[in-house]
Amino acid sequence: MIGAPPVMTGSPALTLFRKVVCVDLDDDSPPTDAAAALRLIQDQRSATARRLDPDARLLYWPWGVAWLVGFGLFFLQFTPGEQALVRLPGWLPPTVLFILLVAAGAIQAVVSVRAYGQVTGDSARRGKWYGYAWALGSLSVYAGLGRIAEHLPPDLAALLWSATAVGLTGALHMAGGAVWLDRDLFRLGVWISVINLVGAFAGPGWHPLIVAVAGGGGILVAGAIARRRQRQRQQP
Amino acid sequence: MTELDPVIHAQARLRVVASLSALNVGDKIAFPRLQELLAMTAGNLSVHLRKLEDAGYVEISKTHRGRTPATLVRLSQRGRLAFEEYTEAIRALLDPTS
Repeated sequence: MIGAPPVMTGSPALTLFRKVVCVDLDDDSPPTDAAAALRLIQDQRSATARRLDPDARLLYWPWGVAWLVGFGLFFLQFTPGEQALVRLPGWLPPTVLFILLVAAGAIQAVVSVRAYGQVTGDSARRGKWYGYAWALGSLSVYAGLGRIAEHLPPDLAALLWSATAVGLTGALHMAGGAVWLDRDLFRLGVWISVINLVGAFAGPGWHPLIVAVAGGGGILVAGAIARRRQRQRQQP
Repeated sequence: MTELDPVIHAQARLRVVASLSALNVGDKIAFPRLQELLAMTAGNLSVHLRKLEDAGYVEISKTHRGRTPATLVRLSQRGRLAFEEYTEAIRALLDPTS
């Protein structure tokens, strides 16, 4: 009887080997010794965690890029002072921001479904309800804003929109940290809320710059940290 | 290694239980996804799941997703405990001083 290697290395060749061999393997046989058993446990657990836990960078970075570029364009259009830094058509910044945010949402949805799609239960319910909070929260906030913003001058309307949107994002990130007991996610929410506060007091023009650099940059950094922690967790 | 839980102390079932233990408590995984994670044939996995179910270590539930029937698998509380005890026993064998 040929024994398949007790560890799953993840290399395609070995995986194929396992697929072929496993059919005939007398796998009722115990691991050869305690060390092999422990190795098997650790490898299997980390392999499973790797497959069920999507790369954190894919969940964070698209949002970071969207904020960096989208709010960056807002800053260029509504530069504080008399003269705009770059002349941009008025429709461009909101359109680019909207497209990038939709793209980030789509990437998040695809990555999540691929990883957790076949897992149901408490985690799935948490994720679903949290998603509803984002969707319904955004809708209700923006519906109210739309009615007020039309009576404001463009620079104040832009500040109202972005400060409210960013504030909601900060609060929901903090809530997400509470739901999953994820300290880094919670800290990101605090960071976003604080820079939003700073930006709102700094006033129209400055707010998008602060959100682009500190907010977008903060999300990129948070993604890198989350990825590092994920790697540490997934070490066999 | 005679005193180890014989249900878990078999390579294939140990892999199944170790994989299921990586899920969060309260989560279930669909049979085909588990099969893919373990690279086992459906028949082989079914046999081992039945043995684990008989021991009360896994819970298998049938449900429907739209019109397609789906089989969901989770480690029971008893199974999680048995797996933890097994892992502890293995560690103790490797390092009797701990």
